[in-house]
Amino acid sequence: MSIELNTNDGQVTITNDVISTIAGGAAVECYGIVGMASKSQIRDGIAEILRKENFSKGVIVRQVEDHLHIDMYIIVSYGTKISEVAHNVQSQVKYTLSKSLGLEIDSVNIYIQGVRVSKD
Amino acid sequence: MASEELNGKKFTQMVLSGAHHLKNNAEKIDTLNVFPVPDGDTGTNMNLSITSGADEVKKLKGENISEVANAFSKGLLMGARGNSGVILSQLFRGFAKGMDKKETLSAEELANAFDNGVATAYKAVMKPVEGTILTVAKDAAEMAVLESETEKDVIVLMEKVVREAKASLKRTPELLPVLKEVGVVDSGGQGLVTIYEGFLAALKGEEVPEAETDDIEMDEMVNAQHHKIAQDFMDTSEIEYGYCTEFMVRFEDEKLKEHPFDEETFRKELSEHGDSLLVVSDDELVKVHVHAEYPGEVMTLGQRFGSLTNMKIENMRDQHTAIVDGEKERATQAGRTEYGIVTVAMGSGIKEMFESLGATVVLEGGQTMNPSTQDITEAITGANADNVLILPNNKNIVMAAEQATDLADANATVVPTKTIPQGIGALLAFHPDATIDENGEAMEAAGKEIKSGQVTYAVRDTQINGITIEKDHFMGLADGEIKASHKDQLETVKSLLGEMITEDDEILTILQGEDASAEDVKVIKRYVEDNYKDIEIEHHKGDQPIYSFIFSVE
Repeated sequence: MSIELNTNDGQVTITNDVISTIAGGAAVECYGIVGMASKSQIRDGIAEILRKENFSKGVIVRQVEDHLHIDMYIIVSYGTKISEVAHNVQSQVKYTLSKSLGLEIDSVNIYIQGVRVSKD
Repeated sequence: MASEELNGKKFTQMVLSGAHHLKNNAEKIDTLNVFPVPDGDTGTNMNLSITSGADEVKKLKGENISEVANAFSKGLLMGARGNSGVILSQLFRGFAKGMDKKETLSAEELANAFDNGVATAYKAVMKPVEGTILTVAKDAAEMAVLESETEKDVIVLMEKVVREAKASLKRTPELLPVLKEVGVVDSGGQGLVTIYEGFLAALKGEEVPEAETDDIEMDEMVNAQHHKIAQDFMDTSEIEYGYCTEFMVRFEDEKLKEHPFDEETFRKELSEHGDSLLVVSDDELVKVHVHAEYPGEVMTLGQRFGSLTNMKIENMRDQHTAIVDGEKERATQAGRTEYGIVTVAMGSGIKEMFESLGATVVLEGGQTMNPSTQDITEAITGANADNVLILPNNKNIVMAAEQATDLADANATVVPTKTIPQGIGALLAFHPDATIDENGEAMEAAGKEIKSGQVTYAVRDTQINGITIEKDHFMGLADGEIKASHKDQLETVKSLLGEMITEDDEILTILQGEDASAEDVKVIKRYVEDNYKDIEIEHHKGDQPIYSFIFSVE
């Protein structure tokens, strides 16, 4: 699936992979998030932290008619305020996608797939 | 006044003073906020976070520094708001951790606590971005650890921490490109410096300096403010307030007697005259930046308090018109273009496809409805170009198009495309830098590369090319010749594609007609995927009448 934008000079097609990579990249720069997790943990391993190449497993882009929705599966750091971290991810992903692709996202849904407790 | 130890009571004062100082500066920190999201709430968020921390500390009659630090950390966590707030909560979670019920802290222990905070804060992020509050905290803590080896006085140590935090803050634009672009320091970092300043003031037993203005330069705030405006103007050319006005007022005692100065009131007054307002003042000066329609009036307001200096007024409409004019000029040139492309199509989907590929005029027409020579001549005129290429996309229209070129006042050439897929293929070969003859040749060649197939139904019984066709049966045509006929649509498609696709082909494009269903398309796709492994399928809604499917193979 891909998003098509019509411009004066022609058409721009953006695949979901691009969107999920950018969204994932924006998310991991957010404070309090230690990784992206896979949507299907059973199949891909329990709460395995995804590498950049596999962000698309943890970032699902859904297009419902003209509206874009993004589901993100993340792992947060223990001891942070999870609701706030999630909120930061939402606003940063939304902002980054609008800045780099000109896409307006209707919703960014965050699924906390795990909490990483640091060793000390 | 030297101090070798930091106790709970003192730390309580530090927290309250830090919170207080941040509150005073929250608005200014908001203006600096351009990263990660320029929504101008860093100061507000940090203020709410630290206030929640300070409230927890207030509840406690803390004698024991670890208790106070833990309460602060807990309050910060509960009240954490925004990215910077969460980071702050982590810095002090680490700070409080490992204090192990200590009553007091030595300079060395304080340094370690700072360091511990940084370590914890860095752990909670996958990809730390340098040039933010994290960097400022790290640099300050490193300085603290280094200095604590020799420095035993807590106050002197804190002084060094503040100094290094400020220095680190100044370096943030070097680390984070977006800050440099806008010309500001990091807002979260500024927030942390402000908190540390508050800490230091309490340690020294001083009141926090009222509205510190030295640290956040007016220039920086103006830059950030302009940056926001620049973003706002992307969509709109309406400038309500035309002049970017900056000036300073040096207070004069006599005038102040008549008009006592109050920053809040002054700001409110100014806000009625314009927007993008920034007002910063200390005992001697007030600096003003505002976008106003009548800069004179704004200055007169300022003049009530003293004399004006450092005035600067820019006409933003002129600046903006310069940009808009540049665009307009390009647009007029575009009025009469070098090349125009006229094509013929039926079906809204195909029309859109041609337009998106760069056709200037798409005439309606096709097998059963040929546009007249007159229609085509008008379309050539309508294309408003020096050179016009015509793609008839039907062999019955080629003639009319040829005639039209003789009547048109532009230099027009017909690329004799006979089908829609040929037309699309030809259009893709168009090159704006090539001459019209070169384009004509290249486009004709590209069109011929493409194999076109059509599926439609028979209107009467007949026999052509040895194929018997019954009325209402489906027919498959490959490049105009009937190759298949069957009463079942899918069977017709199968044998037609069998005729068309060879081993060298890579792409099959399906144009779905208005009487074809999505289910039909699905079945065809599945059939092709199963039987032609190397073929990539593209599917578009052409919405063409008569032909339930148009195929192109290349």
